[in-house]
Amino acid sequence: MKTKDKIIVKGVDFFYGRNQVLKNIHANFAEHAITAITGPSGQGKSTLLGLFNCMWNEVPGARCMGEIRIQLGNSWVSPLKKDVPLPLLRRKVAMIFQEPNPLPMSIARNMAFPLKLAGVRGTSIIAEKVRKALEQAFLWEEVKDRMEKSALDLSGGQKQRLCIARALVLEPEVLLCDEPTSSLDQRAAGIIEDLLISLKANCTLLVVSHYMDQMRRIADQVLALQDEGLERI
Amino acid sequence: MNHDFAEKMVVIFSWMMTFLLCLLVTIFLGYLLTKGLPSLGAELIFGQADPLKAILGRARVFDGIFPAIVGTLCLVVLSTALALPVGVGSGIYLAEYARPGMKKLLGMLFDILAGIPSIVIGLFGFSLAVFLHNRFSDRFAPCLLISALSLAVLVLPYIVRSTQTSLEELPARLRKTALALGATKLQNIAYVLIPNALSGISSGIILAIGRCAEDTAVILLTGVVATAGIPSSLLSPYEALPFYIYYISNQYMNPAELSKGYGACLILLGICAALFMLAYGMKKQLSYRMLYRA
Repeated sequence: MKTKDKIIVKGVDFFYGRNQVLKNIHANFAEHAITAITGPSGQGKSTLLGLFNCMWNEVPGARCMGEIRIQLGNSWVSPLKKDVPLPLLRRKVAMIFQEPNPLPMSIARNMAFPLKLAGVRGTSIIAEKVRKALEQAFLWEEVKDRMEKSALDLSGGQKQRLCIARALVLEPEVLLCDEPTSSLDQRAAGIIEDLLISLKANCTLLVVSHYMDQMRRIADQVLALQDEGLERI
Repeated sequence: MNHDFAEKMVVIFSWMMTFLLCLLVTIFLGYLLTKGLPSLGAELIFGQADPLKAILGRARVFDGIFPAIVGTLCLVVLSTALALPVGVGSGIYLAEYARPGMKKLLGMLFDILAGIPSIVIGLFGFSLAVFLHNRFSDRFAPCLLISALSLAVLVLPYIVRSTQTSLEELPARLRKTALALGATKLQNIAYVLIPNALSGISSGIILAIGRCAEDTAVILLTGVVATAGIPSSLLSPYEALPFYIYYISNQYMNPAELSKGYGACLILLGICAALFMLAYGMKKQLSYRMLYRA
């Protein structure tokens, strides 16, 4: 079976002020696959990941040149050309951060939050979507009886799964994961790894990771970010 | 050895200074209490009038401080209500929307505003009253509204700065959370940033309330009088507690009158404490509602 490309990156340069962080990046990311991105610290792995949902737009002085195309639904969008509104882009290209970042509110409200932002109405529709996303993230059984409790009381691994579930609730097509297990112990990290693999069916995943063994376990393709650009290994 | 000694001295010094401060506050409160408590009572507040009738507005209070209490409360509520939307709005603009150059310029302007002595703002309010009187109608004179406006200008910088800094101090992680979930900038501000900055914003509001309740220089020039009764409209002169304290301690005829001044001090302190607690309670309720309820 030939894999289809979901994201195509051509000749991307990225600057913070005068400091060039990424240089001449070329890469294709296959659909329904996990692509791991590795490389030494400070090479701009997180920056690269942030290009796809335009998180860099929030940083003053950041500039990006080149071409990025992402297939969303049946059409191709180019985030760098701003041909898609940022909120819409970020609903379809979701992001998981290194540190789990649940908002200081209940589990239920955390889960419903992206739906509220997107203007989804109807208690039963929301409840159904929330339940489905929590099940996808292997978290439903653990939290179904404590949905109204604060999300900040969950364990580290549960918090990260909550954040993944929260990202999944909008049914994104691409999931960007910035070292999603680095703040977790081995067992919790293992659960997240299994979870990421199971998400391939619905999403295209880009995972920044430091751990070689983790990449071997989960990735279909590994790209290394080096001075010369992005290379397949 | 030497280093150890220096460290110990610093600890002892800071402990002593803290103790000194506590001592000062205790002496101050103790002094006020011993001087003021004897005069504290229904008579201080309502004079010869019947308290219930006075509160319902059926009887006028002549030799009590009830009208001054009402005046001060009106002043605090009005000026806070005027300053709040402007201050919070400007704070949000400065923290979230302003470009660096604009931010610097406006920040400087607000610092200058914060540094203007209150008597100058009072004079400005007085000039405004004179201008309105000459230009529009004889009905304009120094009054409750002019005082409230001037006080609002006086406390605006506190609210602007506290809103701005508490928004700017929010961690980058929190800032990105909702954006990465597809929030617009406005949604991020309204649903995440403001609720999380509420505690800092409300400390600015508390400062503002305290300042509105105690400031004397501004109201001295803009409408406070010794006897006015309960203010009947926004355009009428009024009485206020700090001014009452000022003139009674200036012009008392006998120790009993001075003691009334101390009693009024205690009541002013009590009102400030009650307002602080109210603001604190409202903050708790607000953030609870905004963050935890559906």
